[in-house]
Amino acid sequence: MSVLRLGHVKLRVLDMAEALDHYTSVMGMIVQHRDLSGDVYLKCWDEWDKYSVILREADTAGLDHLAFKVSSDSELDRLAEAITSFGLDVAEVAPGGLPFCGRALKTALPSEHVTYLYAEKETVGKAVGILNPEPWPDGLEGIGVHWLDHAMLVCEVNPEKGINRVADNVKFFREVLDFGLSEQILPPGGGPILAAWMFCTTTPHDIAMGPGDGPGLHHIAFYLDDWSSILRAADILGKRKVRVDITPQRHGITRGPTTYFFDPSGNRNECFAGLGYLTQKDMPTITWEADNIWRGIFFHSGYVNAPFLEVHT
Amino acid sequence: MPCYQIRLDDDEQGFPCSSEQNILAALAPVHNARIAAGCHGGGCGICRIVIREGAYSCRAMSRAHVTADDQACRIALACRTFPRSDLRIEPCSEWTRRLARRGVPSGMNPSGAMPTTGNGEVK
Repeated sequence: MSVLRLGHVKLRVLDMAEALDHYTSVMGMIVQHRDLSGDVYLKCWDEWDKYSVILREADTAGLDHLAFKVSSDSELDRLAEAITSFGLDVAEVAPGGLPFCGRALKTALPSEHVTYLYAEKETVGKAVGILNPEPWPDGLEGIGVHWLDHAMLVCEVNPEKGINRVADNVKFFREVLDFGLSEQILPPGGGPILAAWMFCTTTPHDIAMGPGDGPGLHHIAFYLDDWSSILRAADILGKRKVRVDITPQRHGITRGPTTYFFDPSGNRNECFAGLGYLTQKDMPTITWEADNIWRGIFFHSGYVNAPFLEVHT
Repeated sequence: MPCYQIRLDDDEQGFPCSSEQNILAALAPVHNARIAAGCHGGGCGICRIVIREGAYSCRAMSRAHVTADDQACRIALACRTFPRSDLRIEPCSEWTRRLARRGVPSGMNPSGAMPTTGNGEVK
């Protein structure tokens, strides 16, 4: 597959000082750069590229853009043609247009989320280095998340108007970016897809899509090792009085141990532990019928938690 | 620090809120479901209120949910609003009504799915 991973997200935050405190001292990310417009670039200790999160102070919260790293410069040429053939506009971005990156493609998903594809980003290396490394670095603050794992987008679904941007995005990620579909939510008895989990790596999701009134961000997720790391993360969230959304739970969908909370601007964060399970392109898609969605979303509680779907930026 | 009484709609019984506490946080202990709690960060807009009487100050709120015109009409997010006097407030959120009506987002409530009340209980 030519797309390697979700390379970074750029988030809008209402107060930079509060956001920075959250993403550094609570999450344990490391500031790499601050540009002339005041945007701040951060990475996790276990990532090697220059940054995986950009914060921009703005008067709304939410997702400014997401960006995927692809395997080579020549893949960008092939993908530009594929995006055009699919029927979407694509623009060439000169090297440095995305800071510290080579040339990039800029497009908007069918759901209208602005998305970049790039093949090169400055490499700074993991905090533990690559020569006889220790398993984790000293001096980590807070949770010490390993890497940006995935994002979930809110996409317009309005059956009365015949709009289903989840379905449109699934088609785009499948046909253009060659992602696999690991899991989906369908109405009982079949019908248009309502939510999707898709992958380019070997985990159940690198990107997920759920329904709503328009383009939004449901959450960004960071990787932790295991259940005990999730419990420790929840302890830190409690100690720091972070607004917790969902205490440690297991997802039915993806099987991942999880906890959800909000950054100080209301952007939902997740700590997600472990692989979930191995995915490969030939794995049959798992289906959840809509009357089982809550067991799928939170396997332990299994009951309705409407604000979990409805509250987002 | 000064402590004020906040009245919701025309309730005789108010609830206390200090000048350093946001209204949504002060509301939590009295379990009032008429103002929904969301992100608590001014980003999601679900706790939108209108302040009918009294003085208050607000921290940054998403303009996607409270425009400058809204703000001039004393609309705010409870999670970003701090009292400067006793207040009388009312819920002003389309989302609260939507949650009460549907329980799940558009498209996710086909026949057979579960209608819910706003606090997540199955009816």
